[in-house]
Amino acid sequence: MGKMVSVINTVDTSHEDMIHDAQMDYYGTRLATCSSDRSVKIFDVRNGGQILIADLRGHEGPVWQVAWAHPMYGNILASCSYDRKVIIWREENGTWEKSHEHAGHDSSVNSVCWAPHDYGLILACGSSDGAISLLTYTGEGQWEVKKINNAHTIGCNAVSWAPAVVPGSLIDQPSGQKPNYIKRFASGGCDNLIKLWKEEEDGQWKEEQKLEAHSDWVRDVAWAPSIGLPTSTIASCSQDGRVFIWTCDDASSNTWSPKLLHKFNDVVWHVSWSITANILAVSGGDNKVTLWKESVDGQWVCISDVNKGQGSVSASVTEGQQNEQ
Amino acid sequence: GKELDGEPTVTVRAVNSRKNQMCFDWGPGRLLVSNEPPSNKKEMCSCPFIYIIRKDVDRIDERLTGKIQKSQLVRVSKNYRSVIRACMEECTSVFAAKDPANGRQFSSQVSILSAMELIWNLCEILFIEVAPAGPLLLHLLDWVRLHVCEVDSLSADVLGSENPSKHDSFWNLVTILVLQGRLDEARQMLSKEADASPASAGICRIMGDLMRTMPILSPGNTQTLTELELKWQHWHEECERYLQDSTFATSPHLESLLKIMLGDEAALLEQKELLSNWYHFLVTRLLYSNPTVKPIDLHYYAQSSLDLFLGGESSPEPLDNILLAAFEFDIHQVIKECSIALSNWWFVAHLTDLLDHCKLLQSHNLYFGSNMREFLLLEYASGLFAHPSLWQLGVDYFDYCPELGRVSLELHIERIPLNTEQKALKVLRVCEQRQMTEQVRSICKILAMKAVRNNRLGSALSWSIRAKDAAFATLVSDRFLRDYCERGCFSDLDLIDNLGPAMMLSDRLTFLGKYREFHRMYGEKRFADAASLLLSLMTSRIAPRSFWMTLLTDALPLLEQKQVIFSAEQTYELMRCLEDLTSRRPVHGESDTEQLQDDDIETTKVEMLRLSLARNLARAIIREGSLEGS
Repeated sequence: MGKMVSVINTVDTSHEDMIHDAQMDYYGTRLATCSSDRSVKIFDVRNGGQILIADLRGHEGPVWQVAWAHPMYGNILASCSYDRKVIIWREENGTWEKSHEHAGHDSSVNSVCWAPHDYGLILACGSSDGAISLLTYTGEGQWEVKKINNAHTIGCNAVSWAPAVVPGSLIDQPSGQKPNYIKRFASGGCDNLIKLWKEEEDGQWKEEQKLEAHSDWVRDVAWAPSIGLPTSTIASCSQDGRVFIWTCDDASSNTWSPKLLHKFNDVVWHVSWSITANILAVSGGDNKVTLWKESVDGQWVCISDVNKGQGSVSASVTEGQQNEQ
Repeated sequence: GKELDGEPTVTVRAVNSRKNQMCFDWGPGRLLVSNEPPSNKKEMCSCPFIYIIRKDVDRIDERLTGKIQKSQLVRVSKNYRSVIRACMEECTSVFAAKDPANGRQFSSQVSILSAMELIWNLCEILFIEVAPAGPLLLHLLDWVRLHVCEVDSLSADVLGSENPSKHDSFWNLVTILVLQGRLDEARQMLSKEADASPASAGICRIMGDLMRTMPILSPGNTQTLTELELKWQHWHEECERYLQDSTFATSPHLESLLKIMLGDEAALLEQKELLSNWYHFLVTRLLYSNPTVKPIDLHYYAQSSLDLFLGGESSPEPLDNILLAAFEFDIHQVIKECSIALSNWWFVAHLTDLLDHCKLLQSHNLYFGSNMREFLLLEYASGLFAHPSLWQLGVDYFDYCPELGRVSLELHIERIPLNTEQKALKVLRVCEQRQMTEQVRSICKILAMKAVRNNRLGSALSWSIRAKDAAFATLVSDRFLRDYCERGCFSDLDLIDNLGPAMMLSDRLTFLGKYREFHRMYGEKRFADAASLLLSLMTSRIAPRSFWMTLLTDALPLLEQKQVIFSAEQTYELMRCLEDLTSRRPVHGESDTEQLQDDDIETTKVEMLRLSLARNLARAIIREGSLEGS
């Protein structure tokens, strides 16, 4: 529906090397960035400003991704790196510190993603060693680890959780008892596949589906937030330059159909959904961030073109962007 | 909101149609407008009038249930327009005070608002008012007069001068008055010319008569269109005769006016500068060549007017395309073009909503019908959530989106930063009013956790009660109890004392409440009640085993009182509890497997208790025995 997007802020992060990820927190008031310079930085970006809150050192290699946990658990940020480690940082009394380090992978950890807050504090990590590990916070500074070995041959590049969906009514749950969530997440790997994983009743994770459409490494997967419709949607992007939108009509038996959003001329690195899942942000090697929207007749249309700068991070345009007075 | 029954009186500047794109963005608390697409610098002006728009929305929906009258819809439409105009006025006055260097930028913002009002006004005439042939032209004339308003300043200039008819712009003024169909005023001007130069008085009078006698449909006129057409035809022929007779040959100005009044295209095009835009040209053309034009024929005239006016020198601007689409009665196209040209959602969302209420979208057989309205409203409302206080408006808009409004609201409302308690309460109220229990739970939990981290246990407790979160209430209650053990006193007594039925939320919370009650009773010296309560806390298993030692220790002062408080039966119970605790046998049904520390202090305590209990038992038996006996 035309050009209706514009850059409203540019944050100069002073990272000394390439920036691999930038994530706004839940409220859009803070921005976390990570870079090949091994640091993770947190900025206060309210009112169009940029105040450096923290410069977190702890990784020994390029940091690939950062992820904010749900605010009910406090101010928690996870980061993963080429150094095979996942670090969980926490803000206590106004200062950011390393809270936990997970070193259970044999290779670069490429992606981290927090599960829906309803499940508790759970972090999924995908690594170049092909494994996916799931860290669950059990209290008192303790984290329990579950590992899915050989999730993807050669390596796993991306993990993304499905939104929490509960069978039956939440309102009638007896007090103190957790509803029976069916936990699911998607992963993308160097085997060109997207895999959907489901937690079984015994707590083990099982591969539920394989989604095949890409002809090269899958670089990112993003499970869209739920807007109450009976369909589930996943976006995936790949080294092959393609972005697919996968949809599944939950009423039927789990068949996922891909729709090609666009074929780009270069690798596509990231895909990311807006809060109400009506805009998809796509960024790729052509140095551009494009925003895509499904119009009312079901076609995906590009609604903007924002050029990425050199050495600076463009604040992602999401509906959750907040500017405080 | 402002009621508007008559015509708006605010003059509006002409739209600068030389821009290529109109951009329009909402920012925090203010209107952001930019001339070019993606630019980093934006100027701001304050725009408080959005709250008036809100009231319009309310008003529309009051009538959703009943049949909506056209006049009501027209009124609503006028309200919207008055809002836009008020906004323009506000901008103008604010910027007048500011740095003149920025004047150009600010005036372009006013132009954009003016364009919005121009479009809206036309849509109102064509789609909402649905003016038929006859009145249609009158509405269009008003429309043009409102939006091409150099006339007034020109008029002031000329009339204010010593010799108006000798003023440089005199004939321009007269011409433009004619172009706008303001023939009475034009006549008055001519009479000044007649006074000033008697030589031309004669032809001025003739021209004046022509102007006076031009048949035009006036509101409330009872003649039929056919009658009007006939009269107009005669008048037109009369004008034609004067042209043939070269009556006005001595005055090129008057002759030119005559040609204009004959609807001569070339003569009209000579006045391009005065007309300033093609739609003015269109309306003038219609006035003097086809005043009873039918709505369905408009588009033909519109397209040709645009082509003739631009004359192949320039291409149509976005605004032109929008207006053309309106003249073609292609509502879908209007909305589409507006969405592209105006990057702000306010305009399309509200216009579409209004048109939807006119039942126009459906009748145009759009594939998505009324979904388009919701589509646009959702976009607009989402945008409002980016604002620290306008989010509340966004809530209202979501409420009026029957399909996806609720879930969109659920997703957005959790993302509002809750920096103050007041804001948090506002947000929670919104959720509670709509039975969004999940969101209430989530938000309360966030606030409860924050409170716990800041050691504000009372606050944490009230949030978890509000969230009806039993698990969290238990957690906070435990903290309270732990604090009590460490410090020997309770914090937030008020809260705990007044829990009321909320106490039932979790066992631990109930225990906390009851335990505090025990302390109160003791303080009020209601020893017997306190004693019973204390015992029941253990026997009913409400008290966690980890706390039993504390409870038994609390029993000590009661055991050591002069009078016997615990009965023999109760004392036996207490002893049983103590033995349960010390024997390290897990009590049947208890999941709590906390063991006593093998500690000197603990051992001493236990010994003291045993002694106390034994002594009390003895005294109790004696007392009960003697009571029975007497």
